[in-house]
Amino acid sequence: MKYMHTKLPDFYIKAEAAGKVARPETEVEIRGLESYTSGKMASLRVGRIEEYIREITQDPGVKKVEVVFVPHNPEAIFTAVIKGIQADGSCKKAILEEMALSVPTEECELFDVEEVEDRRGSGRQQR
Amino acid sequence: MQKLKYRIVPQGAADGIVPLNWVFLDCKDVEALGLTYLDACKIIAKELGKDCAAVNIMDMDAVTVTSDGIMVDGAVAALASVDHGMINKDFGFLNVSEFKQYEGMMEAETHMKQWLSDYYKGKPLHRGPSMPDRGARVGHNENMTLTGRIANNNVGSEAMNMVDMTEILVPLLGMHEIMHGGTVNIGVAGPMVSVGIGMVVSELQGRIFGYTSLGAYRAGMSAHNSGEYAKTVKSDYPAIVSTKPMLAEYTLRALDCGMVPGRDIGCSPAVLSLAKAYGKPIDFDNISDRAWIELESVGMGRAKLEEATPVMSREEIIAKADSIIPGMEDAKTYAVSDICEIRYAEF
Repeated sequence: MKYMHTKLPDFYIKAEAAGKVARPETEVEIRGLESYTSGKMASLRVGRIEEYIREITQDPGVKKVEVVFVPHNPEAIFTAVIKGIQADGSCKKAILEEMALSVPTEECELFDVEEVEDRRGSGRQQR
Repeated sequence: MQKLKYRIVPQGAADGIVPLNWVFLDCKDVEALGLTYLDACKIIAKELGKDCAAVNIMDMDAVTVTSDGIMVDGAVAALASVDHGMINKDFGFLNVSEFKQYEGMMEAETHMKQWLSDYYKGKPLHRGPSMPDRGARVGHNENMTLTGRIANNNVGSEAMNMVDMTEILVPLLGMHEIMHGGTVNIGVAGPMVSVGIGMVVSELQGRIFGYTSLGAYRAGMSAHNSGEYAKTVKSDYPAIVSTKPMLAEYTLRALDCGMVPGRDIGCSPAVLSLAKAYGKPIDFDNISDRAWIELESVGMGRAKLEEATPVMSREEIIAKADSIIPGMEDAKTYAVSDICEIRYAEF
C-alpha cells in the first residue's frame, strides 16, 4: 500500500524534474497547497501531471510552468478545532465545528488563456 | 441575430453601494427565444465580456418562500455565476425545478398553507433545487453557484465577489421590485436583518435548508444559533430590499392566512413586529431559548413583545410600516430605474 501514493514533498520534486526535461532552465512554480506540509497524493495522477508538465514544455516558447491547485469542489468543508491551551501547552478541552469555505474557482486561472483542454476524468476516456 | 432582454444592477449602482453586477432575466423572455436557462446564462456570460456577475432567472408568475416563511410572488427559477465569459462546468449553474405539493405537506410545513389561499392558489412554486438539479454538488454544498470570482448563494439571494470579498444581499421582495421596476431601499443590512435572516422555517427541498429531509431548523428556532453574535454575522454588507410597506403587505397576507410567528412562520424581528401591531398571536413558548438570546440582543425580548399596545388595521400598518418594522433605518430609497438598466444581449 505504501507505494500506491506519492508523498506531498516528493510531488514537488517530481514536478520540478518533469518541467526541466525539455530545457533545464525552465522554472516550475507550484501554488495552492502552501498550507499543507504533509499528505499523500494519488500517484497515478502525479504521473499524469508529470506527463502534462513535459507536454506543455514542448512549446519552445514556454519559459515557466505554473501548476496551480484549486479545490475541485470550490465549497470546501473544514473542521475547526477550537482548543484551550494551558500554560504547560496541554489542552484540556476542544470544541469541533464545521466551517464552509468557498473559494474562487479555476476560471480565475483561465481569464486570458487561449486554449483549455479539460482532462479531468481522463482515465475514463482512455482508448 | 436575436436579442435577449436582461436587467442589470451594475457594480457601483446606488451611489457606489452595489459592489458587484447582478443580472436578472425573466424566464418568459428566455423561453420566448427557445433558449434553455443555461443557454441564456451563457449568452449573458459572453455579453459581459471580461466582467463577472451573479445571474438570476426569475419566474414572476410563480411563488416562493422567504427565509422566514412568508410566501411571495416571484421566484428564482435558475441561477448562475459568470466570469470572463465562462460558467463553471460543475458548480456555475443551478436550475430550480418547480416543486409540487406532496402528501402531508400542509401538516409537515404548516407555513405552506399560504399556498392554498386566494393570493397564491394554483401558482407554480420554486423553492430549492431538486437533487438532479444539484448535479455535482454533494451533501455539504449549499444551493449556490460558483464561477471564477462570483458566488451566488442561497438560491440567488446573496452574492459575493470572492476575490475582492465584497458581498450584497437581495431578498426576494427586492428582486420582485427590480423585476417590476418599482422602488427599493438600499443600505447596510444591520443587526436586525442579521438576526432576522436566521429565523427560518423547516422545508423539504427549501431555498436554503432541507434537501431530502425537513432540515434541522423549524419555525421558532434560529439557524444562526450563534447567540449574541447573530446580530453581527450578516450585519455589515449592503442589501437591496423592498420598501417596508411592501414587506408589510406580504407579511400581513401570511398573518391573514392564520400563520403564527414562532409556530408556522419564522420569528424574525420584522414578522414579530408586524404580528404585534396587527394583534395577531405569537407562539412565544415555541420560540427556542437560543432564538430568544438573539432577539433580546436587538431589543426584541419577550417582555417588550408582550406589552399591551394599540392594535392597528391593515391599512394603518402599511401606512406606518417604516416606523413599525425595525431595521435598515439608514437605507436610502431608490426608484429601480435609477439603479437598474434594461439591456439586450445579441446572440
